[in-house]
Amino acid sequence: MVDSLLKILKQSASPEAFDWLEETVNAQRDKFEQRPFYYAFSGVSRWFDKNALVEPAEQDLKTIDAEVPGFTIHNWDEFRLARVILLLVLGEQEKSVFLENLNALLNTADIREQVAIFSAFPLLPEPDELVPLAREGLRTNIVDIFDSIALDNPFPSAHFPEEAWNQLVLKALFMSRPLYRIYGIDLRANATLAEALSNYAHERWAAGRWVSPELWRSCANFISNPQIVADLERVASTDEPGRLEAVALIVAKDEEGILDHLRDRVKTFLDDVADGRLTWRTLGEQI
Amino acid sequence: MRFFDSHVHMVSRTTDDYQRMAAAGVTAIVEPSFWQGQPRTEVGTFKDYFNSLIGFERFRASQFGIAHYCTIGLNPKEANNEKLAEQVLELMPLYICKEGVVGIGEIGFDDQTAAEEKYLRAQAVLALEADLPIQIHTPHRDKKTGTIRTMDVLEDVGCDPSKVVIDHNNEETVKEVLDRGYWAAFTIYPHTKLGNQRMVEIMEEYGAEHIVVDSAADWGISDPLAVPKTAALMKERGLTIEQIEQVTYHNPLAAYGQSGQVSESDWEGSEGVDPAALFEGNTLLRGGMDVETAMSQYLIE
Repeated sequence: MVDSLLKILKQSASPEAFDWLEETVNAQRDKFEQRPFYYAFSGVSRWFDKNALVEPAEQDLKTIDAEVPGFTIHNWDEFRLARVILLLVLGEQEKSVFLENLNALLNTADIREQVAIFSAFPLLPEPDELVPLAREGLRTNIVDIFDSIALDNPFPSAHFPEEAWNQLVLKALFMSRPLYRIYGIDLRANATLAEALSNYAHERWAAGRWVSPELWRSCANFISNPQIVADLERVASTDEPGRLEAVALIVAKDEEGILDHLRDRVKTFLDDVADGRLTWRTLGEQI
Repeated sequence: MRFFDSHVHMVSRTTDDYQRMAAAGVTAIVEPSFWQGQPRTEVGTFKDYFNSLIGFERFRASQFGIAHYCTIGLNPKEANNEKLAEQVLELMPLYICKEGVVGIGEIGFDDQTAAEEKYLRAQAVLALEADLPIQIHTPHRDKKTGTIRTMDVLEDVGCDPSKVVIDHNNEETVKEVLDRGYWAAFTIYPHTKLGNQRMVEIMEEYGAEHIVVDSAADWGISDPLAVPKTAALMKERGLTIEQIEQVTYHNPLAAYGQSGQVSESDWEGSEGVDPAALFEGNTLLRGGMDVETAMSQYLIE
């Protein structure tokens, strides 16, 4: 992975910056040295351009996704990719060295450094040791840091226990983050989460606040719960943008006929679901 | 017009301040590491403080469209706790190369003790190693002696005066600081430091070259709008727009820009403010009446 990522970074980075990173990677692989590694990790900001986005070719993205499903560098800046490469080198060290230094870096990291560290999690060893760090990271109110863990990152769905996953989804909603970018959101849906989401919707309704149609996605498999059926009836009764689409997406998957009484209401959208024009992604993108 | 306040302690300020600063045209700020009003007793609190400067405070500022930078340092008061000071000095290398860290600061003298000199030297060496500017706090008591002693120490270590901003100057210190090639910063701070009328008079005598105006607003009675207010007063007293821009924007940018960690492109596209709007009954200020009321009394004494 280090080599594929270096190759991608080379396409956008200045030659001086790239050479510096490549030399640093080689030197640290040869013999890991703590202080120079710390300087290099923060010193990325002295070499690379934080405004320059990396430019992976379509094929590069596919290769990466094939190696680690769900992992993407789409829309990353150079700082992020350069630091992730350095973290992969850290991950090649023995367990105690890796964990001690990862913790030290995280404990003194600025915003972009934290973003890079959490972005690297799906590629790093010792995932069980990383779970508490990611859960702590999600307690942030800094959107970029939250996003680096919650969105477009396959780590949480692969390693989070249910309670942590449920908090991730609820907080993402609370922070108005796009749920369709949470990797594995359907896979990790569960009855407890569905109920918490329903309760959250009730709380929002009571306060007269808007409820994201994306909320209902994690409830789709739990329509045996009468509270959720009642919620969907309420959702289907209004014309707010996105609501009927959300109900249609759930009705389309209902094989037991529990929601048959809502079919007429969302009929036009069912066709869109059937031919793939309407998905949770397209709905999320338009909100 | 846009302002660069190169000395302001935002961890001690509220979101109201951020709103008013943004509305008054403050587009970039430097937050120096400083004494938080009571002595810290553990190195861990320094670490968390540094983390807030490069983390949450930067984020908070960004929410108001203000570019936030910082300087990292051990302040002179706490240099006197030598056991703690040693630990802080060991911690600093983790921070000084980070993005947006534009210098080592604010460091210098308080009581002018031997311990203070020791850590001033050690941090000046660190600045040389990291090729970073230095932000100097000059003492409140026995200021002139302390300012001269600070410059002597820095030059002894081998620092280049053009990479050092000496702050909290007054009429008594400005001449020697400028003569020796340093940036001379002035803190417009009511009651205890410099009022802005005196600032205008200093500029009438010394011009704008190498002069920087800042607020040093903190946990005390201070004014986060000191820089735009002083600009308004300067305009009223007949200083040229070029001179005003130089001391409230271009000079601090040039001084801390030597770190390679701050550039105008970081806040490109942010709107400026017409300083005339500050006192000619013009109602163009973003942010509405609150800022207009705040700015209508721009004299700071």
